[in-house]
Amino acid sequence: MPENRDPLRYFRIEARELVEQISSGVLDLDQRPGPEPVAKLLRIAHTLKGAARVVRQKEIADRAHEFEEILVPHRDDPAGLAADEMRELLRLNDAISERVAALSQPPPSPDLGPAAATPTAVSPAVPAFPATAAVATPVPVATASPFATASPVDAASPVAASLVEEASERIAPRAATEDLDDLLDSIGEANARMAPLRAGCHTLEQLHRTAETLAEQMRGGRTSAGLTRAAAQRLAGELGTAGRRLIDAVDRVERELDDVRAKAEGLRLVPAGTIFTALRRAVRDAADSEGKRVRFNASGADVKMGAHLLGPVSSAFLHVVRNAVVHGLEPEPERLAAGKPAEGTISFGVERRGRFAAFHCTDDGRGFDVAALRAKAQARGLTATAEADVLDLVMHGGLSTSATVTEVSGRAIGMDVLRDTAAQLHGEVTIRSTPGAGATVELTVPLALLSMTGLLVEAGGTIASLPLDSVRACVRLSTHEAATAAATGKLVYQETAAPFRPLVETLFTGRVAPDSAGPGAAVMLQAAGGTVAVGVDRLLGTHALVSRLLPELAPSTRAVGSVSVDADGNPRLVLDPEGLAAEMLRTEADGGRTVPATVAPPLPILVVDDSLTTRMLERSILESAGYEVDLAASGEEGLERARSRGYGLFLTDIDMPGIDGFTFVERTRADPELAVVPAILVSSRASAEDRERGMRAGASAYVVKGEFDQEELLAHIRRLVVRA
Amino acid sequence: MTDRIRSRVERLRADFDHSFSVPLRTLDDDSVELLAVGAGGRPYAMRLSQTSGLYPDRPVTPLPTSVPALRGLAGFANVVVPVYDLAALLGHPIADEPRWLVLAAGTPPLALAFHQLDNHVRVPAADVVAGSGAAEPRGCLRGMVRLPGGDRPLVDVPATRALAHRMAGHDHTEGTT
Repeated sequence: MPENRDPLRYFRIEARELVEQISSGVLDLDQRPGPEPVAKLLRIAHTLKGAARVVRQKEIADRAHEFEEILVPHRDDPAGLAADEMRELLRLNDAISERVAALSQPPPSPDLGPAAATPTAVSPAVPAFPATAAVATPVPVATASPFATASPVDAASPVAASLVEEASERIAPRAATEDLDDLLDSIGEANARMAPLRAGCHTLEQLHRTAETLAEQMRGGRTSAGLTRAAAQRLAGELGTAGRRLIDAVDRVERELDDVRAKAEGLRLVPAGTIFTALRRAVRDAADSEGKRVRFNASGADVKMGAHLLGPVSSAFLHVVRNAVVHGLEPEPERLAAGKPAEGTISFGVERRGRFAAFHCTDDGRGFDVAALRAKAQARGLTATAEADVLDLVMHGGLSTSATVTEVSGRAIGMDVLRDTAAQLHGEVTIRSTPGAGATVELTVPLALLSMTGLLVEAGGTIASLPLDSVRACVRLSTHEAATAAATGKLVYQETAAPFRPLVETLFTGRVAPDSAGPGAAVMLQAAGGTVAVGVDRLLGTHALVSRLLPELAPSTRAVGSVSVDADGNPRLVLDPEGLAAEMLRTEADGGRTVPATVAPPLPILVVDDSLTTRMLERSILESAGYEVDLAASGEEGLERARSRGYGLFLTDIDMPGIDGFTFVERTRADPELAVVPAILVSSRASAEDRERGMRAGASAYVVKGEFDQEELLAHIRRLVVRA
Repeated sequence: MTDRIRSRVERLRADFDHSFSVPLRTLDDDSVELLAVGAGGRPYAMRLSQTSGLYPDRPVTPLPTSVPALRGLAGFANVVVPVYDLAALLGHPIADEPRWLVLAAGTPPLALAFHQLDNHVRVPAADVVAGSGAAEPRGCLRGMVRLPGGDRPLVDVPATRALAHRMAGHDHTEGTT
């Protein structure tokens, strides 16, 4: 049996989980003494002791026993443990962690301890199984390497070096049980969707038999023509229904598989909460050695990201939280004198902001002493007067907020490590400080992989995802409502007029998009600047997705935040709500950002029409919409003008003396130079036949004069016009 | 196992073993492998060695961008790759929907889209002629190749990549191939 070859296989997994629970349980107990956390810790320690004895890990079992011994007297004691007992608990916790971690180390194990030396059933091959099933290996674990090339300060400072080592091993990326359950649910769901497919196959078989019977009847000529026709019609009807059902069933299966894929991809991501215990412990240790009382709050445990991000971030913030305890929080008497609670508070939070993750550490201490820092900077010959400049020096110039180097918090090292981490992860660090009230150190990093729920929308033939967490509502639009919204650029929603813009305009790529009926729904997006309404042709439902950054050589507009891969392996754009809103609200005054967001100006439009009135009318419409317009009074003149300069679009009448509009379009399509310029036919001819002929000639759109709708015409032009 | 099969297996095994003792078959140094392609309605050729994959009819997701030559994004084995229009990089107006994608060798990932694949040919190196007085090579073209259907300009993939890098505002360092 394979278990016999590695008796520790399951113990490693269980022990690691128990150790994690012990680590956070001890810190819980430290902050909230009482019988309840004691009982919980006793339970966990007891389980660990039992399991360790079974696999003859005496060392671990003994430490767990000692751990229990300390806790037993406090079972019903609401007062909590004495400080030295607490310290002993933490020491034992560390010792157990170390032992358990050593079990997963690859050979040669430097010190297996007496447990390995005892003659037991434990096979000597144990260390040869360092993989510990799939749990330990699937994701590249963050290592200390990011700091191997960091500042020389690291090498010079044993404090920093040990901190880095300590932090880097704490991130154990692995799939949480709920995530696996979730994935299994999705697989089950996808499986369940197969049933209609199977039913469909049965129906098809039946229909096949019916068809054969029918063919037989027709050959025999025994049944009347009327009856056979009726049977054939019925068969056709049933085939149609079966076909629709099958399409529907396949659609569903496809959607479910998409979901399965995204959830499986999501397993590669780790919840941010995995680094909280390490930070909490760092705060606790620093507080202990400084003789301060500190409460640690953490938020955002569920935000998921790649382990490669969390490792370095955790290392850097270990320094930041220590600095906050040592330099930020005042000693108790000082706090009381300032009217603050004796116990200081350090809050660590993680949140997702669009395609960025933000990590922040806030303390309620004295804040940065900007005046002292400024004086220090000036003493070094640095000129910094504004508060922001001074704080920037803390970040970049090695200015420390402390006069002495202490054991737990080396001078400015924390900030150096944070700065290096930021550089390595292409992130940014900001410091906010309020003298007397506290400081916040924040690191924002772009997320390479991010799991989220998206709302799938279709616009102009393109399918894109919108992050569901910024969608406030979806509103169905009638044709009339859509036209009004398009004309006014506003959509009334909950008694306010939200800016409205069809998504197809924002996603316009300069190439002809398939004709669509126009927006059938509006997605109300919540952005920093308020709510905006995005017009989409169709809503296709929600789905789980993992988005990644756009590739390096693909600069896009602000509206496109990232990209995901659909079930067929094709890229799908994920829109950035903030960027999309900014694009929509962009005014001429706004200079735009570094991202090439500006759309090139459209090339002029050539209007070809023999009627002076129509020419003038069209010119005035187009000019007031901001286009430059040239006029031609006949097809011949049109062709001549078309060759004389680069146009962005031809707008031509059909019935003209000389060559007509169809011919004009055909000839321009046949000319390689002119074929790239889209042509729109405008005519009083409304028959399907004429439309058909126009499309055959190569027209990109056909607008009927009788139903002449200025907005419709402009929408076509906006969609089609070639830009410089 | 019949004797016939056994002897056949023996022979296959012997052939297989023997193949290790034969020096690696290398292409004649004096020949060049080329893809003869059509882009922007004109014939071109590119060196096979400067590419790392050729794909027909791969869907391209359009991307709104201010780089006209950037057609969009395509997926290759879970990697999202930007697709540039070869015709546009060569200065032709963008007309036809390109059917073929060729992956340019080097990093970051880059695919070039073109309309027509004529054939894959091996020609004597002597048939490739450098541009006359090529002190300052022009654009993405480097020299010509003599093919049965007529002479074709040679598209230099690294130079094309460099152009795409410049268009995307991406720092390009030479020697990425």
